[in-house]
Amino acid sequence: MNNQQLIKGLTLVGIALLFGIPALGYRMGNFTQPGPGLFPLIISGILLAIGIAALVKSRFVERVPMDFKVRNIALILLSLGGFAFLSEKVNMTVGVIFLVFVSGFGATDYSVMRNLKILAGLLAIAFALQQLLGLNLHLY
Amino acid sequence: MDILHNLAFGFSHALTLHNLMYCAIGCIVGTLVGLLPGMGPLATISLLLPLTYSIPTGGALIMMAGIYYGAQYGDSVSAITMKIPHASSIVACIDGYQMTLKGQTGLALFTAGISSFIGGTVAIVVLAWMAPVLGEVALMFGPADYCALMLLGFVCVSFVSTGSLLDGLAMAMVGVLLGQIGTDVTSGQPRYTMDMDFLLDGIGLVSVALGCFGIAEITKNLDQGTVRTPFSGKIKLMPTWPEFKRIIPSALRGSVVGSILGILPGGGPTIAQFGAYAVDKKFSKYKHEIGTGVIEGVAGQAAADEAASRTSFIPLMSIGIPENPVMALMLAAFIIKGIQPGPNMIAAHPDLFWGLVASMWIGGCFLVILNVPLVRYLLSIFKIPYAVLFPAILFFCCVGSYSVNNNLHDIYTTGVFGLFGYILMRVGLEPAPLMLGFILGPMLEEYFRRQLLISRGDFTSFLTRPISGGLLALIAVFMVWQVVAFFINANKKKAAAEAAAPGV
Repeated sequence: MNNQQLIKGLTLVGIALLFGIPALGYRMGNFTQPGPGLFPLIISGILLAIGIAALVKSRFVERVPMDFKVRNIALILLSLGGFAFLSEKVNMTVGVIFLVFVSGFGATDYSVMRNLKILAGLLAIAFALQQLLGLNLHLY
Repeated sequence: MDILHNLAFGFSHALTLHNLMYCAIGCIVGTLVGLLPGMGPLATISLLLPLTYSIPTGGALIMMAGIYYGAQYGDSVSAITMKIPHASSIVACIDGYQMTLKGQTGLALFTAGISSFIGGTVAIVVLAWMAPVLGEVALMFGPADYCALMLLGFVCVSFVSTGSLLDGLAMAMVGVLLGQIGTDVTSGQPRYTMDMDFLLDGIGLVSVALGCFGIAEITKNLDQGTVRTPFSGKIKLMPTWPEFKRIIPSALRGSVVGSILGILPGGGPTIAQFGAYAVDKKFSKYKHEIGTGVIEGVAGQAAADEAASRTSFIPLMSIGIPENPVMALMLAAFIIKGIQPGPNMIAAHPDLFWGLVASMWIGGCFLVILNVPLVRYLLSIFKIPYAVLFPAILFFCCVGSYSVNNNLHDIYTTGVFGLFGYILMRVGLEPAPLMLGFILGPMLEEYFRRQLLISRGDFTSFLTRPISGGLLALIAVFMVWQVVAFFINANKKKAAAEAAAPGV
């Protein structure tokens, strides 16, 4: 199953179905007066055909295993999500603190002192963006 | 003589002390903000639009234009040094980033700066001489022609950026589908919004770009346990004479391609950079090296990018159609200042039109004077360990996503596209064509549906119009050529394998 080409084909087929099936629920109209569902259905159909071609190809090409590491992408997404959530619920300063200290786990080594320096720099930049460029950042 | 008179008239407006100052401020601020990873022209112009509210109309438009091409250059810098592009600098990532990996960042940035100046200069000459005529040429395009042009763009992008036509087309189609999210402008039907209000206006371009390129790239670097900074080794800023000689032909080719593609609505810098890259791959003396990090891979696309960004003002100002999101923001800036771009603009506001044209060349000079000498210092600023750099890039991605609409939901969207971009990267799919599909998808649908309405559902109308028929024929020839090349290569490989097999 861990075959890059096979997963590529499945991904494309999945995306095609993800958009193609709901498109069937929109009004199709006809070629003279196309409805909102027609165009996405056509594009999904093309994508589905390409996805199936990729699946067929996976039977004939050399198998290459897919390299997927969950840890780092999870850390990055957690940092982004935490930043947005805390910025909304508390303020952006807390969001930046969360982002720096959580994303820091993705580095090869973890240093609290380094994170504090990064934090100070980013908060200074955020403050400058807010004050000098009028950016709507809720820092406090 | 009329053109020279008009240009002299434009320079008389652009060279006033105030307008010079606005132009310089626009270029400097645009470059500085555009340099920040995650801040492309779109986010930069969005950010800085309020700065122009209290400035006189002429100065405000000159400043906005300065911000635009300043941000374009700054954007190229972040694409070349950290492989964090926006729509207009996707191609800069290919050879530009390869040059960075080879320790030739200074040369890549110098090449981009000088090529941008050449592209801008050529485009302004084209713009000044041909603006009225080219406006009429653009008006000759019907919906079918736009569709064919965009499809040609998809094919070019797919071929250039991925090396696999099928993979590239698949990604372009995925981009087109993502562009369908939101309210259908013709019927008002919400599509793929999952009853979430913030999706009714569609997904933000900045969120998709930052997610698929910025976030995914950071994660990939972390996976590799990279500790490298964007630059390593000796920085060689000034090219040698042989290197400089290599810049000129590619920059000129890119200028021509960019000037032409920038004029056509549906084209613009996004297509122009790919077009120029494809042309260089075909005609450059060093075509076999392109893609491995060579001057030609940066010069052509940078010139085309800049030329197209200048000439993309033509459809906006002559027929009132913004051809990309950045031009849509420029349209907003015009309207805020009480100017309605359109066929009457040149006649009704010649001072604004020609003043803006002249200021573009002055802005180009400012960029060269400021950027090329300062590149060395900019590089020094970026000499930061990756462990320090990536949280900062993440922060700028968050701010860049948020600042477009002042909406924190856009950061979640960026995260989702970060995951999506990472998955694509891991399954061996290149997201560059996705961006093109995403940008052009809504326009493609609009023109497709319009053509069907006009032709009463007759698909042959796409073939019978000379322009669309010609463009579709080009696509067909290209596809056939690809299929033939595939079988020829397969046969060659088979023959080589048989020859190498023992006992045969």
